[in-house]
Amino acid sequence: MTEFAGHLPGLSAGEVEWKTLHFGAWGEAAEIRVPVLSEAQAAALAGRVRDNARTYLKTLRVAEITAIIDQAIARLLDRNDPWRQKVERLLPIVTGYDAEMIRLGLTGYLKTFRQPQLKRFLAEDFADPQILDDFQPRPKGGFAKAFGPDLLLHVWAGNVPGLPLWSLISGLLVKAGSIGKVATAEPLLAGWFARILAEIDPRLGECLAVVWWKGGDEAGERVWLAQADAIVAYGGNDALKAIRDRAPVTARYLPHGHKIGFGMVARAALDTRKAGALARRAAYDVMRYDQQGCYSPQMLFVERGGRVSPREFSAYVGHELASFARKHPRRALAIEEAAGVASWRGAQELRAFSGDRDLLGDSADSWSIVHVEDAQALAPSGLNRTLSIVAVDRLDDVVGLVAPFRSFLQSAGIAAEPEELFRLAGLLGQVGVTRICALGSMTAPEAGWHNDGRFNLLDLVTMTEIEHAAEAAADGFAPYVD
Amino acid sequence: MNFRDRTIIVTGASRGIGAALAKAFAAEGGLVVVNYRSNEAAALQVVEACRALGGQALAIAADVTSESEVAAMMARIADEVGKVDAVVNNAFAPYVFDPDDRTRFWDTPWSAYQAQFDGALKATYNICQAVLPLMKQRLRGSIVNMTSDLVARPSIPYHDYTTAKSALIGFSRTLAAELGPLGIRVNCVAPGLVYPTDASRATKEEVRDALIAQTPLRRIAAPEDITGPVLFLASDWSGFVTGQTLHVDGGLVMT
Repeated sequence: MTEFAGHLPGLSAGEVEWKTLHFGAWGEAAEIRVPVLSEAQAAALAGRVRDNARTYLKTLRVAEITAIIDQAIARLLDRNDPWRQKVERLLPIVTGYDAEMIRLGLTGYLKTFRQPQLKRFLAEDFADPQILDDFQPRPKGGFAKAFGPDLLLHVWAGNVPGLPLWSLISGLLVKAGSIGKVATAEPLLAGWFARILAEIDPRLGECLAVVWWKGGDEAGERVWLAQADAIVAYGGNDALKAIRDRAPVTARYLPHGHKIGFGMVARAALDTRKAGALARRAAYDVMRYDQQGCYSPQMLFVERGGRVSPREFSAYVGHELASFARKHPRRALAIEEAAGVASWRGAQELRAFSGDRDLLGDSADSWSIVHVEDAQALAPSGLNRTLSIVAVDRLDDVVGLVAPFRSFLQSAGIAAEPEELFRLAGLLGQVGVTRICALGSMTAPEAGWHNDGRFNLLDLVTMTEIEHAAEAAADGFAPYVD
Repeated sequence: MNFRDRTIIVTGASRGIGAALAKAFAAEGGLVVVNYRSNEAAALQVVEACRALGGQALAIAADVTSESEVAAMMARIADEVGKVDAVVNNAFAPYVFDPDDRTRFWDTPWSAYQAQFDGALKATYNICQAVLPLMKQRLRGSIVNMTSDLVARPSIPYHDYTTAKSALIGFSRTLAAELGPLGIRVNCVAPGLVYPTDASRATKEEVRDALIAQTPLRRIAAPEDITGPVLFLASDWSGFVTGQTLHVDGGLVMT
């Protein structure tokens, strides 16, 4: 099976050099051709996208843009649509994720980009989204209009399928021309989405491009960085720093680094009826995309004093992970990933001799839990369905355990009574947690969430304000002046 | 070799069905804990036979109705073996199945019921409580409880015995519901009359013939007939089966 990745308006396949990436999983193989553009081609493409966006995308009203995105998303949600079928067929082979996990995950994810959700997305950042279309009156007086960058460069990670759509759609909503760089690990979906948009509205399709260069290819990257007015990048801190160092000082830079999600379970949630269902939800969050998401939990803090003890809760989560291993098998791990899991497990085994922790499950299992009785600071797990469950006397203790890792904080899944939820949210927000969610929903942020606590759209735009005095003065020059 | 690297405890394994089970597990490569109460010589013979069949075996004396003796046995298993994959609760209180001389209800004292409850239920309770920490650690394990087809079809009304075995089925189903979320399965095997065993030796030819006449497979069970279903429920082949009672009586009872 051969598939061409990317979306290169104005360039024919024959003009471009292609590199073949080989993928295999679940007994099937796929060859994905990714474009390797020359410096001149890259510069020309960037210029074209910038011009097209200026002459077309920026003339569309935001309601028209959301309508087009909605049509594209509808196609990806339609199980009978050839694009959707291609996604379902190829992504399991390319990413290695279980086909059912991808199918269910994508549907849940794509639903957050339907028109009503896009409206919510806009409303989250703009009191009046029409400010993207026209000058709108401001409470302080005068008028303002929001302008997206002419050229927005996206550097995507390949950890979770579909992730690129977040920033790609953000770019479209603020009417920015977009160049997106897909990750080698998942080079397909962003390009397909761009091509679907092009099928629906060919002119809009010329306002964005999806390209590829090898991660760490400094020369290849520099060409693109030089063109960008704004850059959204996902990845590890080293990669993000490298981009920051090479990006033009005038470009706005919005990095999204690695995060460590965690969960908190209050004793109120640990009675014999609720604990089982809760354990399943926690295990679900761990299972989804094998903890590759920034929002995935790697640690669970469980409060003592409930009818079900933290140790018992660990066992329930363990069995739920064992059950999920049958329903949604873990993908085959690359050598370094398997080594990561083994070294995490090995380290836990060593520490188990001191008696404060014990490991659940066998080393041959495709999941691992270490249950820890002594309070322990937030730490990454071995990923790929490995989890630390830490018993604490009070959930308040967790704040101090996560606070030193502010730059890694983002999502916290909390199971607690309402008053407790808000109290803890206050404490966690203070130390840097930006998203409080329910266990079982950690990997499915709601429509319009503020990724890393930032304003996805507002961060992209600049406001042009017409001061009240300018408006008043203009009145003096009007033909109707008395 | 379905039980290679697996540890199986069989209670009451010095004779009868228990001994047959121990040997069957051993023949599949298992490490069998041959539990017995008093007949050490018989237990050691079973151990010998297990080794001859290619498995490993360890005889441990413990009265399974005694919490402390069960705890001591389990401590030794934890110490020497470190894990338990399956338990067969096979031991039961001494009982003579004699259709010609059985005790009728109005002559049956509560103490007879109590003795059977202790032998069937308390023994199983003790073993399950003691083995759980080991099984919970690995979130896997299979518990097989021996009951009787007399619960479904009291061909001969052995009141105390059958009532206790009925209780064991309810116990097993409830335990299956509790332990399912921890990956541990609980099932029952309900044989019909098994002959010859020490307990069934008093059952006359005539009674056996009458049962055979009503049994679709036209014979009664030998101890070896019970091993296959027990091994099935103890193995991964039954990985999605819990809370069930498997009747092994040639079709006399159909449920």
